[in-house]
Amino acid sequence: MAATEEPPGGEPQRSAALGALTQAALALPILLASAKAGAAHVGEIGLAVLGYRERGLIKVTEPVLWGKLQLDDVWEFEASGALDMVSGASPELLTNLSGKPVQSVTGASVNDRRTTTGLRAKRRFGDFSLSVSRTVSNEHDYHSHAYSVQGELDLDQRLTTIALGVGRSDDRVGSSIDPALDEPRDTREYLAGVTQVLSPVSVVESTITLSRGQGYYNDPYKSTLTFYPDLVLPLFVTDTRPDHRNELAWLTRYRRRFPERNGTLQVDYRYFRDDWGIRAHTLELAWQQDFGERWSVRPALRYYMQAAADFYSPVVPRPQPAVLSSDQRLAAFGGLSPSLRVILRLEDGFTFEGSAGYVHDAASLRLGGGGSEAFSTLRAVYGIVSISRPF
Amino acid sequence: MASVNEVQVYSTDASRARSMAALAIAEVRRIEAKYSRYRAESVVSRINAAAGGAPVAIDEETAKLLDYAEACFRQSRGRFDPTSGVLRRAWRFEPGAAIPTPAELAPLLDRIGWHRVERGPGTLRLTRAGMELDFGGFGKEYAVDRAALVLREAGARSAIVNLAGDLAVLGPHPDGSPWRIGVRHPRRPDAVIATIPVSSGAIATSGDYERFLEVDGVRHCHLLDPRTGRSARGFQSVTVHAASCLLAGSASTIAMLMGRDAGLRWLEGLGLPYLAVLEDGLVVDRFP
Amino acid sequence: MRRVAAALATAVVACACSPVAPYQRGYLARPDMAMEPVDAGTAKALERTYSAKEAARGGASIGGGGCGCN
Repeated sequence: MAATEEPPGGEPQRSAALGALTQAALALPILLASAKAGAAHVGEIGLAVLGYRERGLIKVTEPVLWGKLQLDDVWEFEASGALDMVSGASPELLTNLSGKPVQSVTGASVNDRRTTTGLRAKRRFGDFSLSVSRTVSNEHDYHSHAYSVQGELDLDQRLTTIALGVGRSDDRVGSSIDPALDEPRDTREYLAGVTQVLSPVSVVESTITLSRGQGYYNDPYKSTLTFYPDLVLPLFVTDTRPDHRNELAWLTRYRRRFPERNGTLQVDYRYFRDDWGIRAHTLELAWQQDFGERWSVRPALRYYMQAAADFYSPVVPRPQPAVLSSDQRLAAFGGLSPSLRVILRLEDGFTFEGSAGYVHDAASLRLGGGGSEAFSTLRAVYGIVSISRPF
Repeated sequence: MASVNEVQVYSTDASRARSMAALAIAEVRRIEAKYSRYRAESVVSRINAAAGGAPVAIDEETAKLLDYAEACFRQSRGRFDPTSGVLRRAWRFEPGAAIPTPAELAPLLDRIGWHRVERGPGTLRLTRAGMELDFGGFGKEYAVDRAALVLREAGARSAIVNLAGDLAVLGPHPDGSPWRIGVRHPRRPDAVIATIPVSSGAIATSGDYERFLEVDGVRHCHLLDPRTGRSARGFQSVTVHAASCLLAGSASTIAMLMGRDAGLRWLEGLGLPYLAVLEDGLVVDRFP
Repeated sequence: MRRVAAALATAVVACACSPVAPYQRGYLARPDMAMEPVDAGTAKALERTYSAKEAARGGASIGGGGCGCN
């Protein structure tokens, strides 16, 4: 009788009244289709490729494949896989042989591959939803298994959303130059966040994550060599860090649409601190401008600054401390990164995105001064190309 | 936002789209002609002319439509009644008109009631003279659903049939984005109170703003309770999203006829997405 | 830490937001109004690019695991 695209009331009948009416309607020669609001798509799949090149040193290529699937407004699944291919030398020794502390490469070239796979499942229970995720990351000298459970509660007709989550990461650190190294590092993470719709054109989200970790934090490939005029032999210390790390990251994101200009303002600010003495600020400002239905262009500027870790030093001090690292990722510096993204949306849902960015980190870029002397300026460029398609 | 009747169809070929739309429009016209109160040769007119007399033969389509109307009568506990059309003789929805008195309503109430309809195999009889069958409460919705099926059978996969706000969607736009349906604001004729994204299914709205009378600050509309002859109160409008326009239309009309508390319970019990504007203007939005 | 939590709580409670009716939510559903870039691949690639060179990590999510990040 009636043509149906899907059996109406495929869910167990919540309503006898609806069942009775549907039964009578089925007898008529009409169309009964499942009532679907919103997008008809059940999922999306995409591929992105990142290319990154640091002046003269590192080159990274990373293809990422990802997919999302939504079933019935109740279940949502996400899966992703990334292959990280790093080639090029990695600085390993910080030495002041030339008078000033300088990074020198010991000659061992790094060719590293890392695979990361992640899965996430989320189920909606009315205003509440629960998601669990698992991420596994493997390279020949580092293995990581992480889990998380997160709950979200919608309040006030979804104008406010509260999120709470816990996570855990069990890692194992090894070394390609020391096959005997096999140390654990375990981290517990906690997340609390609020998303608030401020007006029909603006929304803000603020999230705090806490991380408490213990285990092996040393970088097995880095060491410091310091010559003192009154010593015959230089002091040599391999990278030694504390066996625990407590971190706090506070990220606030603001989005504001300007309909009369066809543009959206995106502002992200993150405050970071940990018990290694690091304090960092990240600010990204972006403007996405739409040109018609298809094209969007998004210029952005990201500024980063950090204070050095308590145990960072480019030279081995005297008396020699128990913890010491000259890894410049723990130094005091500032960084500016402009980027540009272009987005093209086609009629059948295909979306192409291309991003290009320049990363410039230097001691002199630190607001308020105080950048570490031995910081070797980083100049890098990256490009990301991606395609995605709903289905 | 005047009443617009339209059919929109996507096709790779313009002439094919036009011919599919023409088929849909022809089907709407057929149903309108068959069940119109205003045409002497329509099925409804023949049945009404024979009220109080002999049974009238009806075809399968009419019988099944009336089965549907009977299901609505039952589920609404008698508030949705296809024989309540005679009440329009007492109600004039014009400025300056008066509310009918009990004396004016009483003789009409005697001629209302689904229990006074006799149904035999392939026949129907209105048992009292002066009774009338009115397909107004579900005829338009049926026409929308039939037009949607005609389009589907003609091969359309992305189309919309909209008869003055009662509509059915046959698939989203070809790029997958949903149709954005504006629901008329019940008090501001040129404004929209909600925009609903729909990629399949049907939307129907019942409101107190189509034909109404305002007396002493109280609005009386054309949705009348067949048991009392009085106007339904409690909602300005109700919009429902369901698998077919018939279901959406009955759900919203029955909600209006039940009044605020019972109507909201009715809508909640159905489990369908809905948007209700209460008498005082408060909006209850149960769309995802 | 306590100052941070208090500031966050105050920001939520003292929010002088204009009420948003259901029919006004169209803009909020746009992809450029989402917090994460819709394209998960681009988001992951960007995170990797910056976090490999900086000491600060995370903020938006947990459970992502660690990396050797040389």
